[in-house]
Amino acid sequence: MGKGFCALFKKDCQMLSSGKFFLMAIGFLALYTAYVNLGYIRFMQMPPYNVYLYDPAGTQTEKSSLVQTVPSMEAMDTALLSDANGVGLDASAGEVRVVLYKGAEHVDHHRADYALFLLRPSTGSAPEIVGTNTPEQKARKEITCELLFFELSAVGFLGIAAVLFREKGMGVIRVHAILPLQKNLFLLSKLAVFLLSDLVFAVLLTLLNAGLADGAALLPAVLLQTAILSLIMALLGLLCALLLKDFRQFTLAYLIIAIFAATPVFLSANTSVKFDWIGWHPFYHVYMGLKNAYFGSATSPVYYAGAAAAILVLFLVVQFAFRREIGKEM
Amino acid sequence: MKGLTYQLKSVLRDKFCLMTFLLPILVAVALNFMGSIDLSSLGELHFGVLENNLPPQTITWLERYGPVTAYGTQEELTAAIKEPSTNVIGVKADADSLKTAISGDELEIFQQAAAALPALYEQRAGTEQAKVLTLERPDILESFQGIFIPAVLIVAMFMGCTFNAMNIISEKEDGVAFINEILPMTPSQYIMQKVVVGFLFGSLSSVVTACICFQLSWQNFGIMLALIGLSSFVAALIGLFIGKLSEGLMIGVVYIKIIMLVFIAVPIVCSLIGVSGPLAIICNIVPSQPAFDGIMALSAGNMGTAIKDIGILIIHCVTWFTLYVLISARRKKRTT
Repeated sequence: MGKGFCALFKKDCQMLSSGKFFLMAIGFLALYTAYVNLGYIRFMQMPPYNVYLYDPAGTQTEKSSLVQTVPSMEAMDTALLSDANGVGLDASAGEVRVVLYKGAEHVDHHRADYALFLLRPSTGSAPEIVGTNTPEQKARKEITCELLFFELSAVGFLGIAAVLFREKGMGVIRVHAILPLQKNLFLLSKLAVFLLSDLVFAVLLTLLNAGLADGAALLPAVLLQTAILSLIMALLGLLCALLLKDFRQFTLAYLIIAIFAATPVFLSANTSVKFDWIGWHPFYHVYMGLKNAYFGSATSPVYYAGAAAAILVLFLVVQFAFRREIGKEM
Repeated sequence: MKGLTYQLKSVLRDKFCLMTFLLPILVAVALNFMGSIDLSSLGELHFGVLENNLPPQTITWLERYGPVTAYGTQEELTAAIKEPSTNVIGVKADADSLKTAISGDELEIFQQAAAALPALYEQRAGTEQAKVLTLERPDILESFQGIFIPAVLIVAMFMGCTFNAMNIISEKEDGVAFINEILPMTPSQYIMQKVVVGFLFGSLSSVVTACICFQLSWQNFGIMLALIGLSSFVAALIGLFIGKLSEGLMIGVVYIKIIMLVFIAVPIVCSLIGVSGPLAIICNIVPSQPAFDGIMALSAGNMGTAIKDIGILIIHCVTWFTLYVLISARRKKRTT
């Protein structure tokens, strides 16, 4: 049995490497790393509102250094037009008047009061810091988690199905029906190859983008979640490859999975836009598991039980489909 | 004309081609729908307090700035502050003043807001009397949609490329490509038929998408039509190249994905970073860059730039077409 498994494993590795699966994974790894280090970290910055003051008489003597003085009302209008989140303070008529472009009501109140506060700044007690991450660490962990999820559930999934359809087209399943090997070995060797390649991908992506020291500490938890997601996606890919006629039909299923399944999850997990029904979305829980691993939060044992049950059910369904396919081929 | 009818027939039978045609339209509808989702809460401050820790008037004061959630225990409050997807600021009573707690990983704007909150509370009597002049902003979501809508339009224009590539590859796989070689049809006729099919569907998809996303005047619509037509033509030609170069469906899908990524990434990165000088000229080698630039210029009312971009697209059309005809002629010469 061990020998048979090794032979199948070797064959699957060769299949993946000739299908340029590894090359594609390395390409995407390079692309993601470049995006995180050269693009994302720079864009994810949000400085406090700019405050512009028009004070021809120089009445505001205590103002903070964050306030920018403008020479005329026209200059303030131009500044506000190009920076609609900024706040203008007009002190030309003695009493200070706040000028701002309308945004969300609560934010407007805060912008106005914050601008007035900068005219008479006082140092209150500094906020207590309860977390351990810096903004950059958070941004890095967040984007690495998103990219890993995207790679495993969308890009990697496409690769898995492409390889499996190719094998199906070449009649490999037909050959397996007459091989003197246990039928499960075919599925197990496939799962092992994809699992291993996904784990290596996760290690490299995490170390390159979340930082060496930070990344290494996260790895055990991240690898566990990666294994869960990878097994689910590989089983789904196998199921698609067994049930659907050709790669063309698969692309329809793929679009539904990749676009309509992933978008609400990202919105709900990363922003304060929360949908009420998101708890029913199975990928939401898998994504949150991965995210909790990156941020060191605890994941409930119910989730692990659910994930294990899902993998088991999927495996049984795939096994059934595989046996049916072999029966069909014979 | 008869050949074209056959081409259209074969495309209409292909579910993949029809799906690529409908996809950008669906995304455009979704984006319009997204516009109605309230995303303004994203920049809002969220406060977390302990139950019965703050007097009701302080809570009312906090609610001026954003929603306040009360938590039963200190652990729950700390967990909410630490939760990475939100920017909750913890607020506690501290004698006559307030004390704030943050996670430390928030964007600077939220950190600054938390630092200033106790002082704002102390000065609240003064700030509530200040005069505030609020100016109307045309559209809060403009900046958000401003980049997504041209991107969707680029995808729609690009659909002609997917159409043609998938169409030619499946012809190759089904063996129709061999039959084409013995049909009484010249290569130029074949090119024209294929380009027209991709061009027609790409343009149609883009025009419907543009109608959903933009409310344009007739003159602007003319320029938009020119931009759409020219970019769809270039995309259809690129589709022919992909079809010619790829040996199988999977390789074709990989090529399409890579080219699509380049088509979308180059203009978006250029517009986000604000590329200028020689690099901006080099970026124009990617045909989606002048198309994107033109759409952006059109929505900003900058006619000059839009017309310049139309010129660049015409150069693209001529170059790609000549290149394709030259390659086909050379290959034909080699095979005969």
